[in-house]
Amino acid sequence: MTPILQQFMTESRDFLQSIGENLLKLEKAPQDADLMSDLFRSVHTLKGNSGLFDFPEMSRVLHAAEDLMSVVRDGQLSFDRRLADRLLEAMDFVSLLLDELQGGASSSAEHAQASVRLAASLRELIVVRDATQQGSAEAASGHGGTAKPGVPLDRVPDALRASWGEAARAGAALHWIVYTPASDCFFKGEDPFHQVRQTPGIVWQSASAVESWPPLAELDPYHCVLRFDLVTAAPRTALDEHYRYVPEQVAIVPLTLEALNPEHRAAAPADGVAAVRATTVGSASQATPAGGVAASCVDAILAAQIVALGLPDAVAWLPGRLKAIAATLAACHRSRGQEDVLPALDAALALALASSSSQPLKEWLAAEGNSSPIASISPAPEAASTTGGDVPFGRRSDDALPATAVLKVDQEKVDRLMNLIGEMVVAKNGLPFLAARAETVYGVRELSREIKTQYAVINRIAEEMQDAIMQVRMMPVSSVFQRFPRLVRDISRKLGKEVLLTLEGEETEADKNIIEALAEPLIHIVRNSLDHGIETPEARRAAGKAVEGRLVIRASQDSGRVLIDISDDGKGIDPAVIKRKAYEKGIIDEAALERIGDQEAINLVFAAGFSTADTVSDLSGRGVGMDVVRNAVERVNGSVALTSDVGKGTRLRLSLPLSMAVTNVMVIESNKQIFGVPMDMVLETVRIPRSAIRSIKNRQTIVLRNRVLPLRSLNELLADDLPQVSNELDEMATLVVQIHGESLGIVVDDFREVVDIILKPLGGILNALPGYSGSALLGDGSVLMVLNPKELVTWQ
Amino acid sequence: MAVTYAGNEAHFGGIVGVEDAEALLAWLSEHPQATLDLADCTHIHAADLQVLMAAALTVAEWPHDAALAVWLKSALSRG
Repeated sequence: MTPILQQFMTESRDFLQSIGENLLKLEKAPQDADLMSDLFRSVHTLKGNSGLFDFPEMSRVLHAAEDLMSVVRDGQLSFDRRLADRLLEAMDFVSLLLDELQGGASSSAEHAQASVRLAASLRELIVVRDATQQGSAEAASGHGGTAKPGVPLDRVPDALRASWGEAARAGAALHWIVYTPASDCFFKGEDPFHQVRQTPGIVWQSASAVESWPPLAELDPYHCVLRFDLVTAAPRTALDEHYRYVPEQVAIVPLTLEALNPEHRAAAPADGVAAVRATTVGSASQATPAGGVAASCVDAILAAQIVALGLPDAVAWLPGRLKAIAATLAACHRSRGQEDVLPALDAALALALASSSSQPLKEWLAAEGNSSPIASISPAPEAASTTGGDVPFGRRSDDALPATAVLKVDQEKVDRLMNLIGEMVVAKNGLPFLAARAETVYGVRELSREIKTQYAVINRIAEEMQDAIMQVRMMPVSSVFQRFPRLVRDISRKLGKEVLLTLEGEETEADKNIIEALAEPLIHIVRNSLDHGIETPEARRAAGKAVEGRLVIRASQDSGRVLIDISDDGKGIDPAVIKRKAYEKGIIDEAALERIGDQEAINLVFAAGFSTADTVSDLSGRGVGMDVVRNAVERVNGSVALTSDVGKGTRLRLSLPLSMAVTNVMVIESNKQIFGVPMDMVLETVRIPRSAIRSIKNRQTIVLRNRVLPLRSLNELLADDLPQVSNELDEMATLVVQIHGESLGIVVDDFREVVDIILKPLGGILNALPGYSGSALLGDGSVLMVLNPKELVTWQ
Repeated sequence: MAVTYAGNEAHFGGIVGVEDAEALLAWLSEHPQATLDLADCTHIHAADLQVLMAAALTVAEWPHDAALAVWLKSALSRG
């Protein structure tokens, strides 16, 4: 299952939950407009989301629900219990589909018919209202799409029909498919002919026109009037799957024995009657729930009459058909003990016979049957939907609740868990101290060893816990990347530049805090690239480059760090220009102007207050660009590297830790205190003889592996006057750290061990104190202050 | 072009797409007595199909593609 599908499932369940709640609330307060629009929005979003995937069944039902909600929201239809019932029904259906998908079902095609039925039952509520407004049931019945024609078995040669009868008797399940493509289907890119040709198990086929062919001169080739009839031996599920995108244009009718049997047909040679029998049997078994069999039979008979009434009137045997229908209706009502309605039926029949139209009977049935379920149904001759309206989908809220695989948890709770695990890590670090004490203070060696064994176990579990909580907090960088296509489009449009943005490695994951810290710097960088990097189309053409500039943002993971590369193929950064600008702004002096190299010059763009833009635009050029970027990245222990080739482009690389929860620090000692230094800043530790230290002016240096390394003493950096202490060989403990790409030796008194700590930023008044990253608790309960060498050095 | 017109005969080859329907209709209107050679045709779009059905032409050659031939015979044969 793809992550986006996973997300869809989670969100959809939330939506279904809130839709359900809102529906129940609305039942109590049907006038609440806020609730209503909330409900509409949920349904609307859910529908939109489902459209991203290949779930036509789900989208169809939700679309109908949305249409219905929209009518209700606009006040054209009042919210009532029946409406709520059907909407809940629809949501149950969606929930069922989600369960199946969760269970690994690849398609929900077998629910195509159910979805059509549900959608029709929802739309029907809209239709009912329309009908009362327009006073015409006819106009409304056209709403659901093309009317389904009956099955013209008489078009099939008798011999062929007999052979199907043989086959059916032998147990073969034949289906008759009538496919009437929508008249505008060509404009949707459909090829109905291709669709029918691909139907599995075709036994017989015929193509015809819905109406008679017009003269060629009047024919519109792109207005589809085709109708396909075919008989297939394929199973029903395969057919539903095949026509899952157009179920409302397809009627699939099982061919039963009596429908195929010529003797039966001879007894009732009216067009479509055999088919009606077939549909009736099919729908009765399909659409009615177990129980109330007798009632459902009557319903099925009534449904068949509606279908029969929907057949074309222009046939010679219309009077016979009308009489037969009226007789059936009378029998039905008599069997229900509703004899009192019969005179009205007789009157309707007389009227129908007089006008040679089935309309009066239709109206009678519509008016009469208000007490019975089918009566509320529009006379669309679709057997399945006629009984489908109020038949529950068969899924109720007391069904087994699905266990959701995804939990939504407050970030606070996760943070708390992370803090507790952090404490756990610190607490377990106390065990080695205890073991040492057991041996040295109490002299019990055995116990010391056992504590160490136990410590190893706890240590392993603690590390796994730490790893697990990190996984919980991991987020893909796509959450930051996703805003860039729009941003790049808008900015490049504004600047009149053409830019092709490529995003790579969006699935790379990092801690939530890191990802969030990344957002702002990245926007700055992208803006800078677009504004200063990529040239206008004219300039690019003149330089012999493609008119469209390329901007690539790539995320990758490299040994515990996330790397974000932002590269463009723009004009690059000219060191000479940077140097001049920096000099003009007073960032460097004249001597530096001559001295610094190209790469150093390029790095000047990170200096505070630096801007190369001559004019301040609303995009960039305020001099709050790259230094902001660098500060933001360094705040989360990251680093920025910038390389550029004049005329070819610029590349920025952000390197960030995967997680900032646990920091690896080296403990050092200076002036009888201990401090921590983040390990990722430490290049190496060396002990240098005091005699090797040279003073240049008042600065101390040492030659380390043929390179001059400047030295600072930690006491001096911390504004302590004491000299650093050397060991018995008169060697100075020196920590070589990297600051802004340059090495610096920090002289301390002694090195201690490397520990994992949970770094807590300094809070309150101490917050403003520069030079410290934060503090941490050590295993023996003492507090470790963690230094920030970068700030310490630059702050001086 | 999947449809080639030669004299009074239209020859269909390969897959005849939806975009051919209009030209086909125009040509058929001018050649009401035209004959069709569908021998090399493997599929025609439904829009072309309904044009052919409406035009009620004489088919000189049915497609070699058996499945298509069955369909077209049921759709285009008169009587």
